[in-house]
Amino acid sequence: MEKIIESTHNPAKGHNRIVSKEEWILERKELLKKEKELTRLNDKLSQERRELPWVRVEKPYVFEGPDGKYTLSDLFQGRSQLIVYHFMLGPGWIEGCVGCSFVSDHVDAARIHFENKDLSFAAVSRAPLAEIEAFKKRMGWSFKWVSSYGSDFNFDYHVSFTEEEIKKGKGYYNFDFVDVHEEERPGASVFFKDETGNIFHTYSTYERGLEKLLSTYMFLDWAPKGRNEPQDGSGLTSWVRHHDRYKNEGYVDSNGRYHSQEADSCCGSKMESK
Amino acid sequence: MEKIIESTQNPATNHNRIVSKEEWILERKEFLKKEKELTRLGDKLSQERRKLPWVKVEKPYVFEGPDGKNTLSDLFQGRSQLIVQHFMFAPGWKEGCVGCSFGADHVDAARMHFENKDVSFVAVSRAPIAEIESFKTRMGWRFKWVSSYGSDFNYDYHVSFTEEEIKKGKGYFNFDLVDVHEEEAPGVSVFIKDETGNVFHTYSTYGRGDEKTISAYMFLDLTPKGRNETGPNGNLTDWVRHHDKYNHSGYVDSTGRYQSLEEDSCCGSKKEAI
Repeated sequence: MEKIIESTHNPAKGHNRIVSKEEWILERKELLKKEKELTRLNDKLSQERRELPWVRVEKPYVFEGPDGKYTLSDLFQGRSQLIVYHFMLGPGWIEGCVGCSFVSDHVDAARIHFENKDLSFAAVSRAPLAEIEAFKKRMGWSFKWVSSYGSDFNFDYHVSFTEEEIKKGKGYYNFDFVDVHEEERPGASVFFKDETGNIFHTYSTYERGLEKLLSTYMFLDWAPKGRNEPQDGSGLTSWVRHHDRYKNEGYVDSNGRYHSQEADSCCGSKMESK
Repeated sequence: MEKIIESTQNPATNHNRIVSKEEWILERKEFLKKEKELTRLGDKLSQERRKLPWVKVEKPYVFEGPDGKNTLSDLFQGRSQLIVQHFMFAPGWKEGCVGCSFGADHVDAARMHFENKDVSFVAVSRAPIAEIESFKTRMGWRFKWVSSYGSDFNYDYHVSFTEEEIKKGKGYFNFDLVDVHEEEAPGVSVFIKDETGNVFHTYSTYGRGDEKTISAYMFLDLTPKGRNETGPNGNLTDWVRHHDKYNHSGYVDSTGRYQSLEEDSCCGSKKEAI
């Protein structure tokens, strides 16, 4: 493939090499072999993921939902499998992180289907419920979203950090000790409830482990320009916005928080962010 | 990993092996290494995909949209990249294929974002525009959807088959000569338009190539039961329905067409299916 890679781009025209349909098919078929290997490898890892051991959940977590208290068991909503999205919305933030909002924009569409395959979804954030509800309404989402305010849940699943950890600048995230400067990090955790009501933690994933839930990225990966994010590591914060903010002038910081450049903005201004 | 796979399931309790959090983390970290390799391999293939040569589109395709005639160039809607979903919906079908509808349910969510990254989306089907519009209204989709009725477009991109091909039972699909029994097959094609208005075909994918944009599958891949497609067809037709048909008694045939079991149904009955 190196030959193809080197000869393919014609910088003078901003075009890739232009070929006949017959020639294109030959090269496309070569890539198809690799794509099929990737699909099979993904199948294999999904199988291995299902064969990981489980950890029994012993702590009686309680969450605040729009209709009152929820146990972790309640969040299964009658199904035996639950995906929790750890949504970065700390107390007082007023609006959720841009990356988590990006993920969440994809959930209701998928939920129409996976709820018919014994899987429920809940977002969990540390912000008090009233703050969650106001932001959820603004974004027009209909999935279940509860508050873990005052609970150990976010800390036990390694998506929120204590004041002490932030002061030290070190915390446990994505299965490693890493630099932490913010209270919240994103992730997803999966739970299973058996017939007798026991709950088990089966899986968690963080950072780029969440990418495959973002069909936006999967569409962009087909396109000639790809994700086209700068090499400085700013990633999605370089272009993704809350879906009602694409026409605004603000920017997103490296922690995924949106900052308005309008001095009189009511939401997400620098003054208000921690 | 073989050791883990063999010892993990306890058939007596229908549980995976139950371990302490510390033990779980050790195995999870081993698995994370493989997941990271998969992510890197995905990045590498996306890069190779972007380096495929292009084929100049010479034929002046014309499509019928809700607002009149559209050329292929018009479908870019002011952006330089275009993703076409070849939506299986032939003249007289009354409703589109279930698998294509499953894919389409995810599009509007992603579109809010990728349209801000120079990518437009359009669905193209052979059904006349009136039939498309009526089904689109039923499904509540907002993406652009045009008719290629009477055009070579679907045949040139190998997603519709001629009467002769169906009679012979052989057609060209997914870059190979395969058995064909139906008029339509699913796929995705990608185009780019340069500054002078030339349009190039950059990519097409078929078969399982579009799975990664179906986030419902990506969510299920994180769960203990997985996709769990154990019905007669061993694929999505075992359980996926049009999103307004999950509580109906119909079934989906092996070609992705919904078949109602209700005698007086107006849509998709066996009698009406070709």
